[in-house]
Amino acid sequence: MAGTNTVRILDGNTFVVSEDTGDIEATPSEPTGLFSLDTRFLSKWVLTVNGERLNTLSYDDLQYYEARFFLVPGVATHYIDAKLSIIRERAVGGSFRETLTILNHDEKPVDLQIRMDAGSDFADLFQVKDEILNKKGEIYSEVDGDRLRLGYRRGNFKRETVISSSQPARYDQNGFAFSVHLEPNEQWNTAIDVQTFALGPGGRDLRMGLRAHGTERLALEQDLQEWIRNAPKVNSEHGQVSATYRRSLIDLAALRFSPVSLGGQTLPAAGLPWFMTMFGRDSILTSLQALPFAPSLSKTTLRILAGLQGTRFDDFRDEDPGRILHEMRYGETSAFEEQPHSPYYGTADATPLFVILLDEYEKWSGDIALVKELERECRAALKWVDDYADLVGNGYIWYERRNTDTGLENQCWKDSWDSLSYRDGRLPGYPRSTCELQGYAYDAKMRAARLAREVWDDPAYADQLEREAAQLKERFNRDWWVADGEYFALALDPDGRQLAVLSSNIGHLLWSGIVDEDRAAKVAEHLVGPRLFSGWGVRTLAEGEVRYNPIGYHNGTIWPFDNSFIAWGLRRYGFAEEAATIANGILDAATYFDGRLPEAFGGYPRELTKFPVEYPTACSPQAWSTGTPLLLLRTMLGLEPHEGHLSVDPRLPIGMGRIEVLDIPGRWGKVDAFARGRMDMHKLSA
Amino acid sequence: MVDATTRFFEDLDRRGFEPVLVKTSGTLRFDLHEGPQSTHWLLQIDRGNVEVSREDREADSVVGTAPRLFDELVTGQENAIAALLRGDMTVSGDLRLVLQVERIFPGPSDSRGPRRVFEREVR
Repeated sequence: MAGTNTVRILDGNTFVVSEDTGDIEATPSEPTGLFSLDTRFLSKWVLTVNGERLNTLSYDDLQYYEARFFLVPGVATHYIDAKLSIIRERAVGGSFRETLTILNHDEKPVDLQIRMDAGSDFADLFQVKDEILNKKGEIYSEVDGDRLRLGYRRGNFKRETVISSSQPARYDQNGFAFSVHLEPNEQWNTAIDVQTFALGPGGRDLRMGLRAHGTERLALEQDLQEWIRNAPKVNSEHGQVSATYRRSLIDLAALRFSPVSLGGQTLPAAGLPWFMTMFGRDSILTSLQALPFAPSLSKTTLRILAGLQGTRFDDFRDEDPGRILHEMRYGETSAFEEQPHSPYYGTADATPLFVILLDEYEKWSGDIALVKELERECRAALKWVDDYADLVGNGYIWYERRNTDTGLENQCWKDSWDSLSYRDGRLPGYPRSTCELQGYAYDAKMRAARLAREVWDDPAYADQLEREAAQLKERFNRDWWVADGEYFALALDPDGRQLAVLSSNIGHLLWSGIVDEDRAAKVAEHLVGPRLFSGWGVRTLAEGEVRYNPIGYHNGTIWPFDNSFIAWGLRRYGFAEEAATIANGILDAATYFDGRLPEAFGGYPRELTKFPVEYPTACSPQAWSTGTPLLLLRTMLGLEPHEGHLSVDPRLPIGMGRIEVLDIPGRWGKVDAFARGRMDMHKLSA
Repeated sequence: MVDATTRFFEDLDRRGFEPVLVKTSGTLRFDLHEGPQSTHWLLQIDRGNVEVSREDREADSVVGTAPRLFDELVTGQENAIAALLRGDMTVSGDLRLVLQVERIFPGPSDSRGPRRVFEREVR
């Protein structure tokens, strides 16, 4: 989406994407702007001095919420002679603030015309890539005394951008300007404030009184410091591991999102900047990854998703009673139901994953109160699995969108149109069913059985769930096993035919526990075998399949988050060495991205490319890629809550050296975990 | 003739208990404005127990809409969250309360819900 020279800063779901000069000139191919509540509030923000555009000497995104740009007048070839420098410092935190500083380095005084062109198209986030020619409402621009008001009105839907400056400015409909006289070595500055408003009738803002954290820069900084202070410390002999951990921790802080309805509690949003909103699947999986390090995210995620659990049938939103939401959006297309995200429920995995997260969270935190609080929602989620997800009537989770215009075709994590295929490359019809969904259903039932027995005091329900889970496991191991390949099929079609391709999804099956013991070794062998394992990680689809493509989004690339759950699954079945192999590959790859793992990278063999080839994507950091190093640390150290204490059973990759994780929070208070590296093991063939 | 809004609140009052609201407590007032006239409905919710009255008194949360839109909300023709984003419904006070109560509104009457494969074949 946005080019590589864009600078992004954000707070909650307010963010700014600009060119490296700090300018914003939005086009469909460069979707820059100031965004809040899924709406663009500035699409033009261009600074000129004496009519001239500025050129970047350097820029610095100091923290996720602030950036600084050093500029000079003129184009690149001229700047050596510059007698003037301009510094733009900006931060988001509720509103968007920019401080302009202009320094005169000349021996002579200068007179300057400083101008900011400002405008907004008020595009919905879903429209930023399109030419917006047919906005249904009216865009306006008004000079209002000492401020400029940009607005958009469609019925009662009103969004406004209000711009003001600490130095008196001349405002017009297209921006504002200053005339400045500077003596030699004199400087001038002004603070520009840009407020965004989502107004209902009577001028009441949708977000009134609700903020994730303080809106001041200082408050944001304190918040970040506190976040880091409260998390465990990681020290490693292999210096990159602690650096990657620290990067992940800071990115996770940036990705915290406070929904309008929750009064300041935060959960992980899916990705920065375009997916700064609630996603059922992404928020749950990221919370699971981060549990040993930031358990508070799990609690909020569970509460928020429970509070918005489906209660009725709504075909437009693909809502059913008990279903956990897929995605919430606040923009114009949601408001006018041109998109179904108010919220949209079309996901088949978030509902069982919700139950899994609650159980895992309790094992770590001992927070019985939350398990009691969410009993009803858990039961409703499990009922959804049984009653509404089984579209074929054979005891599996299936999906098929009812909203055929704007709903999602694929409702599993591999959600691109061609992610599921038969061996001959054909795509299946509907409904569809992927293997990991059945694993999640099995795990959800097993975990809910524990909660029913130990917390809800309902042993009969626990027995029933365990019985159903056992039957599901037996059925699954019969129907989904690909005999001639010795792995599990990616998916089934409604006639019971297997989509018998080899895919990374089988790793999630290990994580869920649905795999029969005597088949686990074969599955593990495939995961670290040459068709799936590239040397960096496990490919989404195995080399040799018809649709395999090393840069196919879900047909051959490597997804770090996928690998972290695969590693967890391998450890669950006792394949510690294989888990370490995957952890090693992914953590090595992280070092090529300064510790910030991308959403996906190419499935090329490691010995061929020598470095991981990034898949060009819209979002960085991506929440579940950010959570990946955290879950890999957990699997390498073998951290497992066990009967009220934390057991540690490390198995580090060769050459990793010593790792210590200090102050791991949980029902045990805070404990430390230490792991010593091994020098003498021979490497798995990869 | 009784309008849909009155029917909705009367049904709610008769039920007296709403399981979806079992974790919800607070007071919520609906102000249905039509020109100079306003109709008020007050919900007092105590962990799922709901009392309905037509009092115009202070509440934790106050929702404002046109009576016609509210009729459509309680019959599933319109969606409350979309209406809120659109500005056709306003909320002052505790938004969480509104989002919880919104869940007891019905879905669209023409929504069929999930259907099994064999059910489709016999259609």
